[in-house]
Amino acid sequence: MVTEQSEKNQTSVAILIFAFCCLLSTVRILGSAPRPRHLQPDSVARRSDQRLASLKAALPARGVIGYIGEPGIAGTADYYLAQYALAPLVVDNSENHSLVIGNFPGRPNEPVTANLKLIRNFGDGLLLFTNEEAK
Amino acid sequence: MALTLAVLLCFASGYFIAALGWPRRPCPSDFAVLDSLAAGCGLGLFSFVYVLSRAIGNAHLIATDFAAVGLLLVAFLLIRSRQPAQLSKPTENWQLSDVTRRMLTAVFLFALAAALYAAITRVIVHPHGEGWDAFSIWNLHARFLFRSGPAWSEGFSPLIPWSHPDYPLLTPGAIAHFWTYLGHETQAVPAVIAIVFTFATVGLLYSSLAVLRGRIAALLASLALLTTPFFIEQGTSQYADVPLSFFILAAISMLCLHDAFAQNDATKTNRLLVLAGVNAGFAAWTKNEGLLFLVALITARALAVIREATLSPQRAQLMASATRKFLPLLIGMAPALLLIAWFKHFVAPPGDLFPDRALAIHKLFEPARYGAVLRWYGKDFLRFGEWLLIPGTLLLIVFYFLLKPKREPQTHRLAPGFATSYLALSLTLAGYFVIYLITPRDIYWHLRNSLNRLFLQLWPSAIFLFFLLITPAVKKSAHLPEELAKSPN
Repeated sequence: MVTEQSEKNQTSVAILIFAFCCLLSTVRILGSAPRPRHLQPDSVARRSDQRLASLKAALPARGVIGYIGEPGIAGTADYYLAQYALAPLVVDNSENHSLVIGNFPGRPNEPVTANLKLIRNFGDGLLLFTNEEAK
Repeated sequence: MALTLAVLLCFASGYFIAALGWPRRPCPSDFAVLDSLAAGCGLGLFSFVYVLSRAIGNAHLIATDFAAVGLLLVAFLLIRSRQPAQLSKPTENWQLSDVTRRMLTAVFLFALAAALYAAITRVIVHPHGEGWDAFSIWNLHARFLFRSGPAWSEGFSPLIPWSHPDYPLLTPGAIAHFWTYLGHETQAVPAVIAIVFTFATVGLLYSSLAVLRGRIAALLASLALLTTPFFIEQGTSQYADVPLSFFILAAISMLCLHDAFAQNDATKTNRLLVLAGVNAGFAAWTKNEGLLFLVALITARALAVIREATLSPQRAQLMASATRKFLPLLIGMAPALLLIAWFKHFVAPPGDLFPDRALAIHKLFEPARYGAVLRWYGKDFLRFGEWLLIPGTLLLIVFYFLLKPKREPQTHRLAPGFATSYLALSLTLAGYFVIYLITPRDIYWHLRNSLNRLFLQLWPSAIFLFFLLITPAVKKSAHLPEELAKSPN
């Protein structure tokens, strides 16, 4: 009887130690959660849907268009966000299309491109080109 | 109104799928399992119906949903009248003092509240998901499905390989289905679906263990999952890893519940195997890793059946055993497998993991790659959950050794469901290992960017099996249902 009670107590202690050790990580969960006073949406909508809305209105509803943009990781994020905003258009990272969009956020001047002819500058680094040499 | 209708139809269809597989008239503890399953199965069916409707050009989506729910309801009503009533009370395998119980319950409720708070604030701040994969893969695919009309398959183009157009469509299909009801896109839909999958996984872990091993084991297991920071973070990120973890857990828990119920009446429990198959099929329809899990599950089940057959020399018994234990699982998987086969063959371009078979085989003979993957497996075993100070995996191991001397000696051999589940998870891990060995990408980049998520996919199931194994058997003299009192499962 005493042994059974002792085992029960030991099991209880082990279970409580386990529970409180688990609870340690709850501190991390709460610590990494956004603060209630700072619940502002991130920049995805601003950098995709909102920024590209006027350009999207000027593009065909379906099909494939070309794309040029900044190199590097920031340029890759801009490209993915452009595809996200312009779906169901397929945005191919290539100049080899009759319509090509240029995405250069923050760049004051239009980029110099040999094969592309500017159709319209939407501001904020968003450009629409035509490529007459495209296959 | 439209949203309420969509939610009701989704949940009802999921509930009827779960209830059709349940072998007895549900008691209160069973309802928690069925409700948790209903959330995931409903979303799985919603995705299935949506993509199938797109494929065959069916424009009457709401009518199709009503028809699907109606059919499931009729089947449920037909089967329900034949189900045996639940006669026994729920089990409790760990006998603890009231104070310990209350403290444990309080800790669990605090962890649940913290996880809910973190999940909700995260989706408010990241409505398009947290991390690139959310908007460049999963939500992008949902947009292609919803925005493209009859030309929906054009979005799954080899021109944008980075969007992984070969990935299965469970979450994008479910999102697009809800958007169709609403008539417009809103990020609330993928955000809520992410939260539903996260907490349905916790609910399923809790409820299935509560049925099999009692409330204390259920509390401890779900506490271990709720306090895994990476689970909460990923669950709300709108990636597909947590939905996949839900379906893997659902398949495995149904297999183990099948064993428990089979002690009572084997003829009525094949439906649980079908339900396990349905969930394995949904896992494969969620991510390509789910397809690997499905193959691992079939292999593990086949080995279990063969092993059993070797114990009985008669060929007739082999056939009977295979039919009884294997066929229902395959029947459950079949619809999702057919849809996946059609999608992979007719819509999706080839995946990017096997561009050069000769090179892949060559990589299998490079010992340095084995060392690299093994080292990362070792490191991520301790850190994938992003725990604070004490890794959850290490904590489980310590807990096992703390309780081991006090457990009753294991006199029963492992039941087929447990053995199948354990082997399926091991084979899946081994499969991941091979994928890393032959990856065409930089091996360290690949490991760094995905291994923690692959471990997370299996984490709820690993916790489930751990507590199934470690929780002591109930003495038969207690007021417990005999079929649930066996241990280990």
